[in-house]
Amino acid sequence: MAYLVASAERRDLRAIQKSSPETWRRVRRYNLPIQLALAAAEDVVPECRDPKTAVVISLAPCQPGSADLYRWGDVVTSGMSNGTLGDLRMNPTQTLHAVDNLAMSAFAITYGNQAECLGLGGAAGQAWCGLEATLEKLDAAEVDKTGETVSAEEVLLMAGDQDAAEESAAGIGVAMLFSRNARPYAPLGRTVRMIRVERRVQPYDSTSRPHAAAGLCELLAAIKNQNQGLLSYDVPVEQTDGMGSVNIVVEIS
Amino acid sequence: MSGAIEDKSGDMRKRRVVITGTGALSALGRTTQDLWDGLISNRPGIRTVERLVASGICVTTGGEVEAVPHDQVDRDHEIANRAIDDALMAAKREAANCGFIWSTGLDTFQANSCHDFVHRSAGRCFSALASRFVEPKRMIAAACASGTQALGEAFRLIKSGRIDACVAGGSSVMLTPFYLIGFAGLQAVATDNGDHPSRACCPFDRRRKGFALADGAGALVLETLESARQRGTRPLAELVGFGMSQDAFDLNRPCEDGAGAELCMRRALADAGLAPQEINAVNAHATATYLGDLAEAAALRRLFGSDWKHVPVSGVKGAIGHAMAAAGALEAIVAAHTCSTGIVPPTVNLNEPDEGCELDHVIGEPRDANAQRVLSVSFGMGGQNAALILQRVTA
Repeated sequence: MAYLVASAERRDLRAIQKSSPETWRRVRRYNLPIQLALAAAEDVVPECRDPKTAVVISLAPCQPGSADLYRWGDVVTSGMSNGTLGDLRMNPTQTLHAVDNLAMSAFAITYGNQAECLGLGGAAGQAWCGLEATLEKLDAAEVDKTGETVSAEEVLLMAGDQDAAEESAAGIGVAMLFSRNARPYAPLGRTVRMIRVERRVQPYDSTSRPHAAAGLCELLAAIKNQNQGLLSYDVPVEQTDGMGSVNIVVEIS
Repeated sequence: MSGAIEDKSGDMRKRRVVITGTGALSALGRTTQDLWDGLISNRPGIRTVERLVASGICVTTGGEVEAVPHDQVDRDHEIANRAIDDALMAAKREAANCGFIWSTGLDTFQANSCHDFVHRSAGRCFSALASRFVEPKRMIAAACASGTQALGEAFRLIKSGRIDACVAGGSSVMLTPFYLIGFAGLQAVATDNGDHPSRACCPFDRRRKGFALADGAGALVLETLESARQRGTRPLAELVGFGMSQDAFDLNRPCEDGAGAELCMRRALADAGLAPQEINAVNAHATATYLGDLAEAAALRRLFGSDWKHVPVSGVKGAIGHAMAAAGALEAIVAAHTCSTGIVPPTVNLNEPDEGCELDHVIGEPRDANAQRVLSVSFGMGGQNAALILQRVTA
């Protein structure tokens, strides 16, 4: 069983700076997708039974990098053409902007989380792989040789992305906390059980728009709009990988 | 339908997962056999890369994949695709019957011959590669642990009964001034200081000074033992355990005692139902960074306790460099060959193990250890750790 118990979305860096200075201090050196993903994750941590042991599934951005990193790319290109490359030194912070999934590591460092983890993402439609993996981790009934159940009790699914890395202009961070045990999802005051993710192959659709976080936010909006009963949510084609349709079945009770 | 695992019966958990095909493009050549033969011959593939010399940067050595021209526009896709095709051909499998769990690493940033800035998205490369496979198609993003994590996820998906066969692994095209200057800033790569270029990367050695960046791709076909037998395919090795962990320590360096690394190894052992004493050899991450090698050696000594002097340890990065997202997959291929042959290749460029790096290193020539069970580990930037256990296929 996988129950959605908390979620958060972050879109505004200035709001984080103003209202959550501690969070801002922790995230400011990263690029926009990681800043927003981490801020959203911190918002759901209070609902977490134990942030040290929650399985973390983190989606890397489809638009990685930053405006600083792209400017650095131009510097490297100029250096190659005018023979000054040997003199260049890169700011290590900008190197971090190129690395794919530091949000997972940064979360682990902040909360001392050494649990099993999964880094996904970077391509269109991977958000739904993250959701599938969440259900797998919570449904798995693995028992190790000592007889200890090693299945996850909670899974934190987090993602951050931006519209255009060259500009670092606008982005979204989202975090969803799932539990094996039924607990009400605060915005609805009801339990939200994720039943399954269904896929069907379809002819390639080029309108797919790679974004790690936008699709999950739209799913959350659909859940919040559903009062009760079964929700059969068809993922908009632009949020898929373009190679297949995705349907998510959720029970709200 | 996917998501919820339908069958949680004991029978599903007893499914055995084997490797039936491999493909490898590395600095040692264009095939798996080139990789294995080079390692067994203690031959380094790292060399001076002329385009880096021409660029004037402080790092001019690397693990170049010469099979695909460096200025080919779709080089990232081509390197990966060749490895994937080789693995499918060896396994006698079609992509249309396999899932795809893969890492294409980081985006490629480079200047082309016209000095234009070229950005190629790793995500788009993944999507193009994935188009001929069936679900699940998962892009792994876990820094240098990506290749090993891809194999681990594929292993679990097959073992749980979700799928019967899968291509898993990783590819990376990062041997560019952009990344070399960046990693030099983090003091992680070996800069030139008059050494012979092929000796730039010396894992566990007292002269070590960082890794040599490399391009590469490693692909493995994983399937159930039952499926392999039905098709009359002889497996190369069996995957029996996988573990992940996070250091939760620092973004740029491992904790010195290797606690996070040790944790993922112990999880892999627990997953396999094995004791440390049942491991016959280790394929180490062995990047040749000062702190990384110390932490890894400490973790392995603690894991094996008093037996550490009798478990042969070997790493491939001295020969082929650090192929990032491909590294774990290439290393798993080597580990599978060790299981199959019993032979542990030497760690190329390791001559004098450093104080603190004491292990049962394989130095200078391969060792016929009759190794049937191998632990293969990867540790990523940020503290993401992954471990696999492979073993010789028995009846």
